[in-house]
Amino acid sequence: MLQERLIEVEETIRKITGVQITKSFEKNDVVIKGTIAVLVVGLSKELEFEVLIYPQYPFKSHEAETIKFFNEELLEYNHVMGDGSICIHTAHSPVLSQKLEYDIGSLKAWIKKYYIDRDIDMHYEHIIVPQKPFKNSHFAYFFNEVAYQFKKNQYGFVDYSQISNGIFYTEKITSSVIQNFKDKDGQPLVDVKWNVKLKAMAQSIGLFIFLEDAPMKNKRFAVGKWGELNPFLNQEFLSFLHSVEKKYDKNKNRYLPLFVGYKIAGNEIHWQAIMLEISQFPIYGLKESQKFITAINDEIKIDWAITKNCSYKYFFGRGKLHESITSSKILIIGVGAIGSITAKTLVRSGCTKIDLIDFDVKEPENICRSEYSFITGINDKTIDLLNDLFSVSPFLESNINGYDFSEGFNFYLKAFCKDETRKMEIENYLNQYDLIIDCSADNDLLFILSQFNLSGRMINLSISNHAKQLVCAVEKNRYDFVMNQYQNVLNFEVEDLYNPTGCWSPTFKASYNDINVLVQYAVKLINLKYFLHKGLLKNFVLETDTEDNFNIKLKEF
Amino acid sequence: MDKNLHLESVIKTHQITKEESLLIKHKDKNKEVKEALEGKYKENIYFLFNSGSYAKNTAINTKFDFDLVAPFKRNAFGSNGTLKEMYGDIYNFLYEKYKDVAEVKKQKVSIGLEFHADSDGDKIKIDVVAGRELNQDQYKKDENLNLYVYYKYGNIEAGSERIKTNVKAQISNIKDKATNEKDSIRKIIRLLKVWKITKYDYPTKSFFLELIILKAFDNKDITGSLWDKLKAVLEYIKDNVTKETFTLKDPGNSYNDLADTLTDTEKQNLSNDMKNMLDRIEENEENIRTYFPENTKFKEEENKNNRYQTNGGMPVPPPKINFG
Repeated sequence: MLQERLIEVEETIRKITGVQITKSFEKNDVVIKGTIAVLVVGLSKELEFEVLIYPQYPFKSHEAETIKFFNEELLEYNHVMGDGSICIHTAHSPVLSQKLEYDIGSLKAWIKKYYIDRDIDMHYEHIIVPQKPFKNSHFAYFFNEVAYQFKKNQYGFVDYSQISNGIFYTEKITSSVIQNFKDKDGQPLVDVKWNVKLKAMAQSIGLFIFLEDAPMKNKRFAVGKWGELNPFLNQEFLSFLHSVEKKYDKNKNRYLPLFVGYKIAGNEIHWQAIMLEISQFPIYGLKESQKFITAINDEIKIDWAITKNCSYKYFFGRGKLHESITSSKILIIGVGAIGSITAKTLVRSGCTKIDLIDFDVKEPENICRSEYSFITGINDKTIDLLNDLFSVSPFLESNINGYDFSEGFNFYLKAFCKDETRKMEIENYLNQYDLIIDCSADNDLLFILSQFNLSGRMINLSISNHAKQLVCAVEKNRYDFVMNQYQNVLNFEVEDLYNPTGCWSPTFKASYNDINVLVQYAVKLINLKYFLHKGLLKNFVLETDTEDNFNIKLKEF
Repeated sequence: MDKNLHLESVIKTHQITKEESLLIKHKDKNKEVKEALEGKYKENIYFLFNSGSYAKNTAINTKFDFDLVAPFKRNAFGSNGTLKEMYGDIYNFLYEKYKDVAEVKKQKVSIGLEFHADSDGDKIKIDVVAGRELNQDQYKKDENLNLYVYYKYGNIEAGSERIKTNVKAQISNIKDKATNEKDSIRKIIRLLKVWKITKYDYPTKSFFLELIILKAFDNKDITGSLWDKLKAVLEYIKDNVTKETFTLKDPGNSYNDLADTLTDTEKQNLSNDMKNMLDRIEENEENIRTYFPENTKFKEEENKNNRYQTNGGMPVPPPKINFG
């Protein structure tokens, strides 16, 4: 079998123009190994590559190609990995000969683009940092952009908070967030913004130095030894390191991260982290001209940790709602099934200013079709959901309203809706929001809120039994529209409401899937209208039918 | 349901005369503002008169205000005085006089006075439309006025020095129609005003709707029941408002094209709204209630046929039918 693959590989390569086998392919355990020389137009002489073909070939291993082309002399060129392998990604093919043609074609394209033309990609490529454990564990640090201009060689302390322990493939990993930067005397320089839950976490000390230039070699690889980092560090900083180690002498063998900052494209600052062990700092005292200076132990290897820029633009870089929604201050009234799904969707989609109002308590039976968890047991809905939302987005800002506020809001609104002075007070409170989403299905509240003249946009979302229809009211006639739809227009079952306790307060039947598919459709439509022009958003009904497969019909009014 | 009965009820419950006390308050306040302007500008101002829906008999009682036209003489603000200066001077006067009792707002072409709610919770609104005759003493002959555009108005840029118009010609535009047609036109104008109030922040001016309804009657054979006529008008708007050649001439000045007061997107939106309205009512005529609601404040006691079912003589409350 392996022999057949070997023959097929060699035969295919021999047919490819500009490629010669310079060392025959042979079996090496389950891997096929050989060497090829490649000549493309523009090259004065062939480039030689060692080729490794893994057993999965022509299939990929996850996202990685299972053929590797190595040449360690090419390390300084773009898209060459630390082991000298060329980074290529090609089209899928289940046929070995075809895939091999694609891959060698891709290698030739790399030679032309990055070796001959020395092309530079428009997007910034981070320096390559080895991901190795430190003392049997990986460490990851998340940072956010700060409104502060660091100067070259500026150094000092940082506070960071450990947020979790997890598993990184097969090894342990600890994740943390940087909380603030302080100067060398411990005075605050700048705070790092995160949500209140993260800011409230216990803090530990780390160090930072801003180098301005990336500590790299061969253009893209982080330096590997302290001796290679030495040219980036001055004596003042090394003395600081010495003083820190002395100061924390009692914490022998404890670790602390050193954050190394530098500028990348667009004047952005990126931070890498180096793990240091107290009592094992890579420094020593050296007597020079009758004076002791701090010197670096050149041969000690650097223990790089993992860092991630978690600023808003990267955190939501893969997709978010339109700016006109994400920049809005939002109030969600009612966080049952629809409200909690809406809240979580908005938070995951980049909204950061969301307040919640709900007087109700989450119980186990609420969980199956909303965004609550069993683990938190019985809990106030707003507190429970916020706790979860804070775990999703580090940028969420929210007033933790709780039961008293929610109950007071409901009482005040209903008891004093005819009192002009109080009404104005409520209007003033509600006018701080750009978007108020009422998912309470409280028709009294809908009626009262329809009487208000608010500066922000009101959206009312509700659903019928079996989630047959979702009604979204956004115009001034919200109350009349919703009432008319449910009382006169829409057809749905009301005989089989879910009523496990036999009380006079039955609820609707529908699964998380039934509800979520409609809520996501509604949010998508609202987002589209906001993208085009928010004035285009109209009342609408989503009507489902399952007679001929599953269909959702949009009816705009 | 009977759509025609419903539409008649919408019109009936929205009659301005139903709000008698509010109407009297508006008339009184209108008189007060008129006298204040006459007192301030004396011989520099012609006779002030009301325009707008009240004068045209197209007002509805859920949202009405008085439009007070103040025709100024050419040299009222000096022989070199600009329309901007006219607008500013009148605004300053009204602001100083009413700032403690009203919100005085600069609007597109008028100055809005929104008096604080009185003890009944009523808010009186008067829009003062200041215009200046084109040449000294010419107003007596042609009744033409130049208006100042305060801020962007569809495709008309803010700060435009002048929009020439003839408010009296605008008023007589409906009044001069044949009696039968005039009644239908007024009903449809009122209905579309009721519809417009259901919308959130709608850019189409009532005057635009008024003119397009008139144009529909001029261009189509509109007959039949009230619903038939309304439907024909909605179809006309849907089919025509987005046409490149579509114009809507101001009867006060044929050079003013009201079609320019809406952007292309807004025209498309208006057309889509008409389509949605026709489609939804076609699907289920109960939807007509959503677009044209009765004013519940004046809705006559419906028969006692409420939605409660009975069960052996005991009333059964209707179940909750919408959920979150």
